[in-house]
Amino acid sequence: MRNMIKKSPWISIFNASSCNGCDLEVLALLTPKYDIERFGCVWKSSPRNADILIVTGPTNGQTKNRLKKIYSQMAPAKKVIALGTCGITGCVFRDYYNTRQKVDEVVPVDIYVPGCPPRPEAIINAVVKLLKKL
Amino acid sequence: MHDFTIPVGPQHSSMKEPMCLRVKLDGNTITDAWMRLGYVHRGLEKILENKTVIKALYIAEHTCGICSFTHSLCFIRAVEGMLNINAPKKVNVLRVITAELERVHSHLLWFGFAMHEIGFDTLFQYAMRERESILEVFERITGNRVHHSFNKIGSVRYDLTSGDKIFILEKIKEVENKLPLYFSTVTKNKVIHARLISVGIINQFEAKKFGLVGPFARGSGVKIDVRKDDPYAAYKEADFELVTEKGGDAFARLIVRLREIEESIKIVKQMIKALGDEPIPKPLPSISLPNAEGYGRVEAPRGENFHFYRIENSLVTRGKIKTPTFINISVIPHLLKGKTIGDIPVILSSLDPCFGCMERIIVVKNGKEEVLKEDEFRYKYC
Ligand code: SF4
Repeated sequence: MRNMIKKSPWISIFNASSCNGCDLEVLALLTPKYDIERFGCVWKSSPRNADILIVTGPTNGQTKNRLKKIYSQMAPAKKVIALGTCGITGCVFRDYYNTRQKVDEVVPVDIYVPGCPPRPEAIINAVVKLLKKL
Repeated sequence: MHDFTIPVGPQHSSMKEPMCLRVKLDGNTITDAWMRLGYVHRGLEKILENKTVIKALYIAEHTCGICSFTHSLCFIRAVEGMLNINAPKKVNVLRVITAELERVHSHLLWFGFAMHEIGFDTLFQYAMRERESILEVFERITGNRVHHSFNKIGSVRYDLTSGDKIFILEKIKEVENKLPLYFSTVTKNKVIHARLISVGIINQFEAKKFGLVGPFARGSGVKIDVRKDDPYAAYKEADFELVTEKGGDAFARLIVRLREIEESIKIVKQMIKALGDEPIPKPLPSISLPNAEGYGRVEAPRGENFHFYRIENSLVTRGKIKTPTFINISVIPHLLKGKTIGDIPVILSSLDPCFGCMERIIVVKNGKEEVLKEDEFRYKYC
């Protein structure tokens, strides 16, 4: 594991109209039980400082352009995780008047984590896979 | 000195979820504040339309991730009322257990988050650790950590298996044992006092005027609680106290929520004693509904939750969801006036806003609907 942690990416989360469920599970990563700092990841609220952006929820009329903007503000070598079924297919909110494209149609996505919401272990797994890619 | 107007949000460190707040400043003092919502609007009420009741149940549940069980309970209360179904006692008891555990988890989440806002990260980590034990119980009895999908019309999905009762009691004991520590810390710690006492005061009269609900109103001494006013499920048999505090400030709201965790644990214990051994009924396979209208109201962790449904030809043709946080958030501009920038996160978090719930509305300005293109809209209002 020590070899793996050559980088310690900072993570930021963007809520593109999610129901909160996914955000809660990301929050659980900060708690003593799952503790993502073991892998050298630190939570950052500003996407400008972050290397990994976690996007939850389907995009809607307002967040679609904001997501694009936030993505362009991040430093190069950025990675995006689309978290939850919402961001991947739209889940129950699919194809309604205010839900717009899926996350990967707005910004390039590196890793998908399905589930409604995905378990924290699955999110950790995704982050670890990204760590190897970085 | 110039007046400055600065935006706070939609991406801001003190909010997990997006909301745009604009504050007008004179030096460090806020003279005016506006809010703009709509970043989490998905059109949930529209999605509910033309769905069968079974499908609509799951969609109603996805309104919010924190109190998803409460939303499904509200839906069930509306539909069971229309069908004149009285769920058996055991089912009601199981529903109360899950609803109260959800209250504990939500209040702990809020408590941790409020402590995080004032920079007390140790308590944040403690509260989150305790919250995990409640989530473990959820996972064991409902199969899921966040969206439980536990309610069925006339029944619940699973019965408790052997050992579950002991497991629940053990886990809530863990939380109960930690509560005295939290109480003594928040009542003795000078830093917490300095940040919370006399911040965001709203007195009883104002609380009634704004129509506030939930722990927020109870922190101002308003006795309002659907569990007492209009008991549902098995709450008639539960013996618990309606917690109120007089202070009306952020500190009073903190104490109300901590004391409510105690009460909820008390209710769960009573309900586990009241659980019978009879099996739960099988959920109805397919339901044909009469054309009807019905509503349900339940006490969510954040206040009164209200669902209205109209059913025609067995399909939901209109759904209306009124959540507590939308009412409570309306006082933010009022609360912020005269405060400093540093108080914004504390006041915001003392309201316990939940944007997933709140944003199902379209704002119509001055009674007129304006149709604008996205760019025009941004130019005009952002
Ligand atoms: S995937 Fe599920 S939990 Fe996550 S935002 Fe969508 S509805 Fe909520």
